[in-house]
Amino acid sequence: MSSPTTERTLKLREIGPARRGTRPDEVVIALSPAFAGIFSKTIVEVPHAEVLRQLLAGIEEQGVTARVIQVHDTADLAAISHLGARLSGSGISVGVLSRGTTMIHQRDLARLSNLELFPQSPLLDAPVFPQIGSNAARYAKGESPEPVPTRNDQMARTRWQAKAALLHLKEFETIEAGRGPEEVELDFELSSAG
Amino acid sequence: MELVVGVDVGNSTTEACLAQVGKGAVTLLATALTRTTGVKGTPKNADGAVTAVRAALERAGVTPDALHRVLLNEATPVISGLAMETITETIITESTMIGHNPATPGGTGIGVGVTVAIGDVLDGPEGPVVVVVPPGWDFDDVAATLNAAVDKGVDLTAAILAGDDAVLVTNRLTRKVPVVDEVAAVEKVPLGMLSAVEVAPPGRTIRTLSNSYGLATVFGLDPQQTRQVAPVARALTGNRSAVVVRTPTGDVTDRRIPVGELTLRGEARTVRVDVDAGAEAIMDALARAQPLVDATGEPGTHVGGMLAQVRDTMTDITGQPASEIAIRDVLAVDTMVPAEVRGGLAGEVALENAVALAAMVRTDRSRMQAVADRVADELGTSAAVGGIEGAMAALGALTTPGVERPVAVLDLGGGSTDAALLDRDGACVAMHVAGAGELVTKLIDAELALDNRETAEHVKRHPLAKVESFYHLRHEDGTVQFVQEPLPPQVFARVVTLGADGPSPVPTRLNLDAIRRVRREAKRRVFVVNALRALRQVAPRGDLRALDFVVLLGGSALDFEVPDMLADALAPYGVVCGTGNVHGTEGPRNAVASGLVMAYAQAAAP
Repeated sequence: MSSPTTERTLKLREIGPARRGTRPDEVVIALSPAFAGIFSKTIVEVPHAEVLRQLLAGIEEQGVTARVIQVHDTADLAAISHLGARLSGSGISVGVLSRGTTMIHQRDLARLSNLELFPQSPLLDAPVFPQIGSNAARYAKGESPEPVPTRNDQMARTRWQAKAALLHLKEFETIEAGRGPEEVELDFELSSAG
Repeated sequence: MELVVGVDVGNSTTEACLAQVGKGAVTLLATALTRTTGVKGTPKNADGAVTAVRAALERAGVTPDALHRVLLNEATPVISGLAMETITETIITESTMIGHNPATPGGTGIGVGVTVAIGDVLDGPEGPVVVVVPPGWDFDDVAATLNAAVDKGVDLTAAILAGDDAVLVTNRLTRKVPVVDEVAAVEKVPLGMLSAVEVAPPGRTIRTLSNSYGLATVFGLDPQQTRQVAPVARALTGNRSAVVVRTPTGDVTDRRIPVGELTLRGEARTVRVDVDAGAEAIMDALARAQPLVDATGEPGTHVGGMLAQVRDTMTDITGQPASEIAIRDVLAVDTMVPAEVRGGLAGEVALENAVALAAMVRTDRSRMQAVADRVADELGTSAAVGGIEGAMAALGALTTPGVERPVAVLDLGGGSTDAALLDRDGACVAMHVAGAGELVTKLIDAELALDNRETAEHVKRHPLAKVESFYHLRHEDGTVQFVQEPLPPQVFARVVTLGADGPSPVPTRLNLDAIRRVRREAKRRVFVVNALRALRQVAPRGDLRALDFVVLLGGSALDFEVPDMLADALAPYGVVCGTGNVHGTEGPRNAVASGLVMAYAQAAAP
């Protein structure tokens, strides 16, 4: 017996410049410029709606709140995640690129460091995202979660590198230099599966 | 004037002491320390011994040909082995209960109803229901289905989920009910049975399902049935959430595993004891059988296997046939080991009782003469083996400032704890008992379920701290320390051991206090118990009050808390106890090597 399938689509509604949070119980999710814009799926076709919904679910399950921002002036994951962490009330953020690469960051860390990095976007399927969200929330609570197991596939690089490079170039084109991060609200729309 | 060097080959380190000896006077020139090569008492030790001697010579700026004589210790022919066996097990039959304590259950309160699969809940079952959700269901769909069922008039009282989304589901329910999640084998939950789900608020534990009369009230049990469910209640004590399913013959049993009988053959009499009676009974039996000639386990039982394992290790080390190896001392320690419950639905873990046994074997095939010959060959000088290790250690310990005869030394090693008493006339009694540092490591490893000897060793050796941010950590005594450079990301928010090479994380879900308690208890049960046991055997008339000075030696005397624990334990007997400081500079090291030189000087003096 499996669950009834429904597909959800996602629209990001900008509600103003992203500010620094003051609540110690929040995790910031920082999105890359083209997330849920010109792209709607990751490199392995996980819908962006599902990525965000699962990340948020993992955070909510831990009883922590989440705020979503979109970064416009860079497509570099470390920079996006670190900016998110500096705006986060708890100092913890999850950064996500359109192709699915994800990172948990903390504001006191050096920008190119991180708490947990999931570097191989082709190996990130939907069930991993709630675990990432859950771990981020547990760091925010001061707990010591076991890192989410990162998968590794020697062939992923050769198989997916060309596609990943194209996706990165496309994302790179949407960068708007000098534009600050925006706070966004999420509009999920249900559409029954075809 | 003669230039001599004393060399002590220990289980893990080889120590050298270079000194000028003349007319009974000893002038210390240099000491050195290196790793022991090969197993103690075998010819391979020569390499380490030569390295240590060369290092000491170099430090003193003397050439090897000036060396008059090398003195080697008579390696104590004592080797110890370890074994551990679980003696209780918890078994759940017919999926009676779920008590795995997930981190984030949903809702609060207690719900009682008949178990129904989520696929059937919209068919409008009668009476109160507990919904069971298999893996693969999205939290939004679960919540929508349950809300629709409630709208149709279904009396929803609780839910059991396979995934980790209890909070998500309860946040979306119109009628809040207790929800237990992360039940891996949810398909084994019997359907159509009366069941109860209880979730306590954060920071509390369940009150109804962990109480036998609570269960009796919920399920309407008679006194006979209540007696039967008492183990279920006990198994759920201390949980934040639980599920109990009432099945016709379901049960939770706490079974003692027959481990077998230990036979302790003493010089005067033979005593038999059941190992599952626990450490206290075994140690009592041992006291009655003293002095021990040999110990054997009933063949075909666990204890038989344990002792066979010890004998096999000895055979490997000494090359002596297993039949010739006699176990001369045993230390039994009670311990609690986390083990997965048989028949559990969600990987429940129960703390099971276990007994750890350390056994000590006396061999008579020390081959130190072969070592001495090789050392003499390499260095082009003469070498001699001599001196009982215990007496030598006591002589060395006498160089500690503030110590005089009679002195007792306590050598806290890796495998055995050794005591020796040197009285006013220079007579010496030495005693070895099984169990020391290695057993502590093993207990820590098992009780924290680390399954990694190296991590356990770290926990044993270093104090703990919790990394609270990248710039500060809180030590186990509560003090906060700030650091200038940010700490590495892999230790963030973790309990760490503070070793020489920086903080390293302890991979466990337990908090700092629990880890600390396990560490201190393990040390107390081995070192304190053994120190008292060994000292009683060397003390005049077995009376600890008759001792004046006790000097702690050996690697474990460098431990950050064992010396304090021993000093506390010996304080009531009016004994001066402390870590040795050989020559006033060497700490608890180098006692035997120094003792060899002192003994040589005394023998040379008229």
